[in-house]
Amino acid sequence: MILRLAWRNAWRNPRRTGILVVAVAVGIAGTLLTMALNYGMVFQMVETAIATELGHLQVHAPGFDANPELAVRLTDGGRKGLSTLDGLAGVRAVARRVRGEGLLSSPRASAGVRVIGIEPEREARITRIAASVTDGSYLDGVGRRVLVGEALAERLEVDVGDKVVLTVQDLAGELTGEALRIAGLFVTPSYELDTSTVYLRLDDGQSLLGLGGSVSEIVALADRRSRVPALRARLASELGDGAEVRSWDELQPVLVYLIEVFDQSALIVYGAVFVAMAFGIANVLLMTVYERTREIGIMRAVGFGRRALVATIVTESLLVTALGLGLGFAVALACVLWLGDGLDLSYFAEGLGRYGITSRIVPVLRSGDFTAPVGVAIVTAVLASAWPAWRAVRLRPAEAVRQT
Amino acid sequence: MTDGGAILEARGVTKVYETRGVETRALNGVDLAIGEGEFTALSGPSGSGKTTLLNLFGALDEPTGGEVRLDGEDLAGLGAAALSELRLRKLGFVFQAYNLIPVLSAVENIEFVMVLQGVAAAERRARAGALLREVELEGLGGKRPLEMSGGQQQRVAVARAIASRPRIVLADEPTANLDSETASRLLDLMERLNREQGVTFLFSTHDPLVMERARRNVRLKDGRVVADETKTAA
Repeated sequence: MILRLAWRNAWRNPRRTGILVVAVAVGIAGTLLTMALNYGMVFQMVETAIATELGHLQVHAPGFDANPELAVRLTDGGRKGLSTLDGLAGVRAVARRVRGEGLLSSPRASAGVRVIGIEPEREARITRIAASVTDGSYLDGVGRRVLVGEALAERLEVDVGDKVVLTVQDLAGELTGEALRIAGLFVTPSYELDTSTVYLRLDDGQSLLGLGGSVSEIVALADRRSRVPALRARLASELGDGAEVRSWDELQPVLVYLIEVFDQSALIVYGAVFVAMAFGIANVLLMTVYERTREIGIMRAVGFGRRALVATIVTESLLVTALGLGLGFAVALACVLWLGDGLDLSYFAEGLGRYGITSRIVPVLRSGDFTAPVGVAIVTAVLASAWPAWRAVRLRPAEAVRQT
Repeated sequence: MTDGGAILEARGVTKVYETRGVETRALNGVDLAIGEGEFTALSGPSGSGKTTLLNLFGALDEPTGGEVRLDGEDLAGLGAAALSELRLRKLGFVFQAYNLIPVLSAVENIEFVMVLQGVAAAERRARAGALLREVELEGLGGKRPLEMSGGQQQRVAVARAIASRPRIVLADEPTANLDSETASRLLDLMERLNREQGVTFLFSTHDPLVMERARRNVRLKDGRVVADETKTAA
């Protein structure tokens, strides 16, 4: 009876209820869509970081985290780490790298760069660098060749096939350099990679940096991100004190922080939307209580108790909110599906690239994006109906039935 | 009427309203008992206190002084929930107009009090159907109040009032908004229910037609009972 009364009461003035439902829906849909785009951006930053450089897990020599220098290296060439990772279920790909810093010079300009020596075939299974080559070719069996970003090539005024000189300080602390030919140019969503990173073959890097058979790190990719914590624990246990194992979120804690900031800001936005919504609902319910004063008096006279009256008003508030919520969810989902290929932000692309974001943002909705507003909405609907319900139960039946 | 046979009883009842420091004495020491099976009209000029007395008998208001008893039980000191329960179980109400819940159909309005009483759905439907036939509105059960005439609405209100099988039906100016023919038909219905089913009715009214039909006429003036006449059977 209470549900029936609440539902029919809600639709006594269809226009008023309709406007309220649409207002709630617009608030919910707008908030959800904003959250989806924001999270899509953060999600892309994380994916870009993982897919261009971080991988899911990295293994370094002990002390690398505090002091990431050339000397802190895996002197066994990463063999123990490689064999351990190869034996772990859930590991999709593994590769070794050397890392250093240097100066890349052309006849016309020079730039400080990060030098990364990679195993081309293994690296291609972990990062997108091979797929990011836009001109020339990826690194292959031919040595003494490098990959540079298009932005860096432009700055140095060089192109595919041109020679550049890479100068580094090797393990012994000596300055050394080598002339290398540009094999290919790449473009990634990462500003840092595109403007200040040089890739070369692992053996060329080891030779140039004077590392012998040592490597700087092993990078691994899991088949799913959710398996990373377990893999990390297993790998750390297997390798013991001989290595530092860190996951992507430990390597880039700022990304985790960003996700947390977005989640918290979502709650603030939801709070603001629902407070505004609460006033709208309370206003409409108050009006209906005033309009139904006589009717409430008659209902109370024939034995409709105070609790039942409060339950009817709260249920009416919950129904209107639920309708708005459902419509808002539907609109948000429709928009997300419509934006399936992403929202084109090419106008801001250069600025976004600095944060590892492409010019096309694909909105991402998580299950939590639906559950959080449901919880907040229930609380809002109950709170919004408290005042009208209080007004209704305070009506004296003898006076209320005399109202016209 | 003896104490033992009274359904409702007022003993030295006073009611004083206070508005912005000004006191208005609506009832001034009323003694009145309504017995089972009566068909009684409370009449009197506006401001004589008839609606106030009906509200006190209906447990919708509290007296300033004196006692109101229902089936011998003093209503003073009963909480809101207990009074609500008492109205649900023992009293039926018919008001002047806009008696019904507009979002419910006629049959749902009749079932309303039975739902509150916890009557099982099947029994509710059977009783509501029988009551619709009783008030000669068979076939109109699905109509909402706004789709019905004033007389039809009052008939549904009477059906609702007796649906809970109350000890007494309190009717506040039930014919006030009806034309004389419709009012007469409504009174026919209530007289029949009183005669055939023993339903006790207490009216507050200005309507000479109601006073004419009532078997007992209680006249109020300035908050006091000034006349109490019972017609002898013809």
